[in-house]
Amino acid sequence: MTEQKGFPTIAKTQAVIYLAVIVVLAILPIFIKSPYTYHIFILTFVYIIATSSLRTLAISGQVSMAHAGFMSIGAYTSAVLARYLGWSPWLSMPVGALATMLVAVLVGFPFSRVRAIYFSMVSLFFGIGILSINSIFGKYTGHINGMIGIPPLFVGSRMQYYFFFLGLMVFCLIILWRFETCRIGICLKAIDQSHEVAASVGISETKFRVLAMGVSCFVVGLAGAAYAHYNMVISYSSFNLIASIDMLVYMLIGGIGSFAGPIIGTAVLFIIPELFRQLKEYTPFLYAGILLLVVFVMPNGLVGLMDQIRDLVKKEK
Amino acid sequence: MLLEISNLTKHFGGLTAVSGVDLKVDPGEMVGLIGPNGAGKTTVFNLITGFIKPTKGEVKFKGKNIVGQKPHVIANKGIGRTFQLNPLFADFTVLQNVAASFYLHPKSSLISAFLNLPGYQRNEDYINKKAKEILDLLGLTTHQDELAKNLPQGYQKMLGIARALATRPTLLLLDEPLGGMSVGEIEFTMEIIQKIRESGVTILLVEHNMQIMDIVDRIYVISFGHRIATGTIEELRKNNEVIEAYFGAQIIDT
Repeated sequence: MTEQKGFPTIAKTQAVIYLAVIVVLAILPIFIKSPYTYHIFILTFVYIIATSSLRTLAISGQVSMAHAGFMSIGAYTSAVLARYLGWSPWLSMPVGALATMLVAVLVGFPFSRVRAIYFSMVSLFFGIGILSINSIFGKYTGHINGMIGIPPLFVGSRMQYYFFFLGLMVFCLIILWRFETCRIGICLKAIDQSHEVAASVGISETKFRVLAMGVSCFVVGLAGAAYAHYNMVISYSSFNLIASIDMLVYMLIGGIGSFAGPIIGTAVLFIIPELFRQLKEYTPFLYAGILLLVVFVMPNGLVGLMDQIRDLVKKEK
Repeated sequence: MLLEISNLTKHFGGLTAVSGVDLKVDPGEMVGLIGPNGAGKTTVFNLITGFIKPTKGEVKFKGKNIVGQKPHVIANKGIGRTFQLNPLFADFTVLQNVAASFYLHPKSSLISAFLNLPGYQRNEDYINKKAKEILDLLGLTTHQDELAKNLPQGYQKMLGIARALATRPTLLLLDEPLGGMSVGEIEFTMEIIQKIRESGVTILLVEHNMQIMDIVDRIYVISFGHRIATGTIEELRKNNEVIEAYFGAQIIDT
């Protein structure tokens, strides 16, 4: 380390690891035979996007309990536009994401007036409330049974979807990465640590919080919209409070303190239930167990655990 | 007139924290604000910088009323400040604390920051250079990569000043800059404050430590929210009301 920079940009080793993972994921379809395996990978990609977008808010100290709700805005908007107005999914998806962003910015102004646990509470109510809006338009959204007949993105195989979602994930993660590492992210982290000091150096808390809401929800809305056109069926249960809490758990288990946290957390928690598929009904207990372990043994999540191990190895030497 | 406060009043419920305070600061001056604990000094600072809205009264900065504006807007106008209890960006390093505080000058657009455009990169390089200059001036260079929360109290106070300087203030409000410092640190800090002043920054400071009064031009004394006296240190030494507020009435009697 010859030149010390105030805020580190991406380290070379990190970039190499990320690239390697992308390359491995890109050549993986050679070995994948069953559609079910593709399905699991695609779901993992969707949730990695959603969980990472959750972290974009978390760096400013706001933990959203409404992200599945925001996801539903993107999903239902895009689905309705494509199903009833005959829009191409390629157009309705970005529009769905923009609609999510618009809603997020509008509620962002009042929501940004409250911090931490209070933000979680209002977002919790919002996440539940937004689903009931879907039921008002039940004629189109299919009430509790869900909405069927959503036009697909591809008529071909799951492999196409696999590559599409892989690309979408990389695209979304690049957006979130840039957002977090540039000055905008620095300001958000500063606001988290002391909103008073941040204000005293001229950083507008409301502006940055609303901006973070907008970007985070654009990304999660995009993931929701893409998911709708992949699954071709969407229902409440995909976007209810449980889904929001799932994202939160993935993020906490992976580690809230680093960008890789939500990615690793989601990947691990999608793989583990697949390894023990016969025990599927016990997964909530498994999650609970892992979460307790995280809270007591590794407060910085799986990523933090890796750092701890690295430190131990260094000491041994 | 850089800062002109007239009839500033703040009620917290039934309690009057500040009552009808007038205060004027000319460009280039260094003015002290003293008073016993609970006199309302910090409240005056919070009223000036928009953290609290006054019940009554006016705060004029560069001739314009700034009452009712948000803290970040007031910072933007050129009023920098430190805090008495000195909150920090605790999980940032010392250098990051200062670099993060360079939000106003130079300011990059959000888009150029997001896309990492050359203009933004130039700004960030400039910020890094300037932040290091500030740390150098304040003697924090050797600690620049330590986490702010791990610094000793005195250095943390210094870091508070460094952060305020990063906003390039015209007027700098220092809330107990010498609080919790050792004797050596006090001397060093007083030198720094004088240097800042010589560089053209107007300073208004709150302090309990009377050593600082040797370097200020004028002093305002407030007690129980009221302004009870103003003048130079020589004038105040003869003022009974000031001595009474600080040391109790008995001292005058004997």
